[in-house]
Amino acid sequence: MFTSIDDVVEALAKEKYISSEEIATTVYLALKMEKPVLVEGPAGVGKTELGKCIASALDIDLIRLQCYEGLDEAKALYEWEYAKQLLYTQILKDKLSAMLENEKTLSQAVARLTTQEDVFFSEHFLLARPILRAITGSAQSVLLIDEIDKSDSEFEAFLLEVLSDFQVTIPEIGTVTAAHKPFVILTSNNAREMSDALKRRCLHLYIDYPTRKLEERIVSLKVPECGQKLTHDIVKAVHKIRELQLKKEPSISETLDWAKALVVLGYDVMEHDIAVSTLNCLLKYEKDIELAKKHSKSIFIE
Amino acid sequence: MSASASPQILNRVYDFVDILRDANVSISTDEILSLCNALDHTTVDNRRIFKQTLQTTLIKDYTDIPAFEKCFEQFFLSRERDERIEEIQSEALGRRPNGEGLSAAENRLEHELGDSMDSYLDSISEKLLLQKDAQELLALFMEEMEQAGSSGGMGIALFKTRRSMFARDHSEDEVPATDEERELYGRLLEMMRGRSGKRRIGRSIKNHEQYLLNKYIYQLKPHEIKEMREVVKRFGQKLKNRISLRKKRVKHGGIDVKRTFRASLQFGGVPFKIFHKDRKIDRPQLVVLCDVSSSVNQYSRFMLLLTHTLQSLFSKVRTFAFIGNLVEITGLFMEMDPERAINSIFNDTDFTYGWGSNYGRSFDQFMEQHSDSLTKKTTILIIGDARNNNQDPGMNSFIKMKERSRNIYWLNPEKRHLWDWSDSIASLYMKYCTNMKEVNSILDLTEFIDRLFIK
Repeated sequence: MFTSIDDVVEALAKEKYISSEEIATTVYLALKMEKPVLVEGPAGVGKTELGKCIASALDIDLIRLQCYEGLDEAKALYEWEYAKQLLYTQILKDKLSAMLENEKTLSQAVARLTTQEDVFFSEHFLLARPILRAITGSAQSVLLIDEIDKSDSEFEAFLLEVLSDFQVTIPEIGTVTAAHKPFVILTSNNAREMSDALKRRCLHLYIDYPTRKLEERIVSLKVPECGQKLTHDIVKAVHKIRELQLKKEPSISETLDWAKALVVLGYDVMEHDIAVSTLNCLLKYEKDIELAKKHSKSIFIE
Repeated sequence: MSASASPQILNRVYDFVDILRDANVSISTDEILSLCNALDHTTVDNRRIFKQTLQTTLIKDYTDIPAFEKCFEQFFLSRERDERIEEIQSEALGRRPNGEGLSAAENRLEHELGDSMDSYLDSISEKLLLQKDAQELLALFMEEMEQAGSSGGMGIALFKTRRSMFARDHSEDEVPATDEERELYGRLLEMMRGRSGKRRIGRSIKNHEQYLLNKYIYQLKPHEIKEMREVVKRFGQKLKNRISLRKKRVKHGGIDVKRTFRASLQFGGVPFKIFHKDRKIDRPQLVVLCDVSSSVNQYSRFMLLLTHTLQSLFSKVRTFAFIGNLVEITGLFMEMDPERAINSIFNDTDFTYGWGSNYGRSFDQFMEQHSDSLTKKTTILIIGDARNNNQDPGMNSFIKMKERSRNIYWLNPEKRHLWDWSDSIASLYMKYCTNMKEVNSILDLTEFIDRLFIK
């Protein structure tokens, strides 16, 4: 467990995740207060990465749940294994008939069977999906619920119980409460707004594009072959490009791609022509590339 | 509830929450509770950490972050910033800022005075609050209290303060104010300054936004237009979020064959579980026709901005612009930001045919060339002033448009009393519209769109 905010920054840095003081504060608070964190921000700023790095920094399991449209309880919480139940009933047929042999009437047989029916609705036949696994795990884990905005709004309702009380209610069995409360991270790309109920249960963290200094540190950490001068130039250019009216702004991962590309091509300084010819590493739309080319003088030269 | 955060820190924090609420940020008690818990784990010594603690627990909607930042800056980092932060810090160490403690009676008196000051400030108009300074407000407050008449400790305190004020205004007066009276005055002034300052921060932010949203577009100054775009963007995002929450459930959906079949495979093809198609996304199909002629010149840019907002809100939108000629601009808007799109519309496209706008001809053109965009689910939005320059109104086409769509809404940027004046034929078209509405600010528009979804 982290002992202070600085500790969070250091531990994450060891996992090659450069976090700002703001990110570290929220992570630290969430762990101390045992509250889930809702992470929002543009694509590619390292929201998912944050979850992964926390798990490896704390050296605990990461349980990841990728959300998509149509994701339901059965895929996220738990599911009864009907097939297994059917199979077992088949196999145990003889045993069952032997057991019911002595019963004279149908109703007696049913009564006899009822005393045993819990067998078929026990944990043996329960398929734990990510959320239930995180709750029932024998140690604390990080539960990463990725891109929650892609799921349907009903799905949020299932989550509420987990997020506030760290428990899941299964009608046939009862309520399963977490022995070790998982650290829950939800990420969202703002495709739709989360309900107030969900937001109230979480701490909120908005990760924006990093500052120039921070991004330079990220590049030099992840692409160490890239010299100081080149790193500086790359990050400066990317920040200028982000100011243009683009369809898709370059994210950190694209900055890294670009840096790697320039290193592979053997450059150690950024020149206008080189930059323009490698823009396709950074920008993913033809229109955006055109626009950047139009402003290339002011971006790459000044 | 909270061990280390002292009452003084909490009071400051409550003040800050009030400010945020004044600035239209909604904060629930739950969030304040979690903030109090959080304060136990962080320090107030580091400004960035303190700020993030507030932000992470209180602000749950990222569109509120700019407002939060402004409030934080003004409340904690303004001219009193060092005092405030220091005060909180010294509180954390268990020291009182003024050294000596107040007696219980004085404490209660201060409380009472504070309460009545609060209710006084609640009662006065925002204009007064934003214009007067603390001294003037205190004087007004004293007057008010005098009329209301008060007795006991509070009455005496007020009386003494009044004497001190009087003595200050008429310095050559024969009865000089005593030290006690002067001190009392100082304390009251301090209280008023804190209270009115606090109220001002949140309200001024909210007011500025309201002011931009409510202002007629053609009255906006260039720097305001830039701010406006930010506000529109923020508003657009909020609207979009709200709409996406309003997905409708259909009660009796048909069977979802694909899903049912897929699920049945694990039971050897027996459809053990049946899935229904249970959701319908109630996203209207919109067709927007926007008049961009010179008679609406001061509006037309604004209207295109609105149209752009609309198009980015809904997936099925087709946008047309016309003067005498009708041109589809859906594609343009899709690939450019509004500013450039609007510029290129006026540069590259020839809307003119004859003189001035010609609604009739445009409607005819629409029915001839783009009638495929209409279905029984389509809502048509027409944005224009219905000034047809005395030309053929094209009623045949207009009626056809009505018949082939679900609704026709007409958003008229002109004031209502100008409809039908001179060459406007608003009421002629109005007969066939589901509704014709005066829309000339962003607020009007959002209200309209909101209503489009509540049925």
